[in-house]
Amino acid sequence: MGLSFSSLYNSLTSLVHWSKEQDVRILMLGLDAAGKTTILYRLQIGEVVSTIPTIGFNVETVEYKNIKFQVWDIGGQSSIRPYWRCYFPNSSAIIYVIDSSDRDRLSTSRTELLTMLSEEELAGVPLLVFCNKQDVEGALKPEEISEQLGLAGGEKGRDWSVRGSCATKGEGLEEGLDWLVNAIQKK
Amino acid sequence: MYHLLKGLHEYLTRKEEFSVIILGLDGAGKTTLLEKIKTLYNDTPGLSPDKIGPTVGQNMGKITLPSTILKFWDLGGQRGIRSIWHRYYDDCHAVVYVIDAQDRERLGEGWEVFDSVLSAPQILGVPLLLLANKQDSPESLSVEEIRNDYEDWYRHKLDSARRTPGTGSEGEHRRERIASLDVMGISALEGTGVRAAVDWLFIRVQNSRRREEQSNNS
Repeated sequence: MGLSFSSLYNSLTSLVHWSKEQDVRILMLGLDAAGKTTILYRLQIGEVVSTIPTIGFNVETVEYKNIKFQVWDIGGQSSIRPYWRCYFPNSSAIIYVIDSSDRDRLSTSRTELLTMLSEEELAGVPLLVFCNKQDVEGALKPEEISEQLGLAGGEKGRDWSVRGSCATKGEGLEEGLDWLVNAIQKK
Repeated sequence: MYHLLKGLHEYLTRKEEFSVIILGLDGAGKTTLLEKIKTLYNDTPGLSPDKIGPTVGQNMGKITLPSTILKFWDLGGQRGIRSIWHRYYDDCHAVVYVIDAQDRERLGEGWEVFDSVLSAPQILGVPLLLLANKQDSPESLSVEEIRNDYEDWYRHKLDSARRTPGTGSEGEHRRERIASLDVMGISALEGTGVRAAVDWLFIRVQNSRRREEQSNNS
């Protein structure tokens, strides 16, 4: 009897522990060369690292305001985009990175984003869009990109925010994360 | 038996959901208001005001009141993105319009946008609350002054419309709507008046639903 109680106790505490230890998983997606890996390491170590195109993914734990994020930075080349969906289950938020200076591929980026949002596994998950490379001359403003993405009205079931950022200077990233933390906590 | 009791319990504790959209010019304080509402009614506090920037997108909030859940949508107010508001009109149960009572220079612009909200046909029957925000500032217009300012603006608009023939017609609905318009003063920053505004919404969404049911029955 004593044994069964103690084993029950153990399994209960491990259960509680497990739920506490679990990290918040955030997916970071976007076309190739949008700046996902640069954002990831800017957030994690606060520095700009030189990156090469990601094939596969980078996972880093980022601690921000006492919350541990597991950020999955997933390669964005067209050949590997079909594998994004493998990472959808159990994700608490999506960060979608767009190269604001790449006008030619904005519509491609939009299509990939909308396809992703229509997945059931991501229903209701908050979306943060970083309009990256705001320092490049001629870069589109967040408002313009938001209009072209056309999320308004179609995405009533989730929080979403379109923000400008410059990963190499670290601008806009913290503000974006603050918003995201708030959106995740509310759920 | 279990399912019967469970069903009864669910029936007794069920909560109805109502959607409220928060509109207004950029910088009026819509997001600050939403975050304050979340802080006042929920366990997890909302974003603090110094962390809030211009919204491009949509913020949501949900609060639980007796037998009712209010869901808020806070939509960006910058000129280019106001065009999306109407896509939310069909599913909303109440509209909150926030005006910056301190920014006299943009009052006219604020009224113009307010007027388009007020006369939107999809939401003619929906409760509409006008909030004169930033009452914490001594320079802000009071509730009374805000109301008068709007009426002045509106009279002026009518006068100039009369001069151009053919555009002077005005719906009866609309006149009624202006006459019954409720204006409240708040400070989204400090939270004054926010609870009163939520109470107003709570009561009004219930009443308008009842009216709907009655008209369905008759």
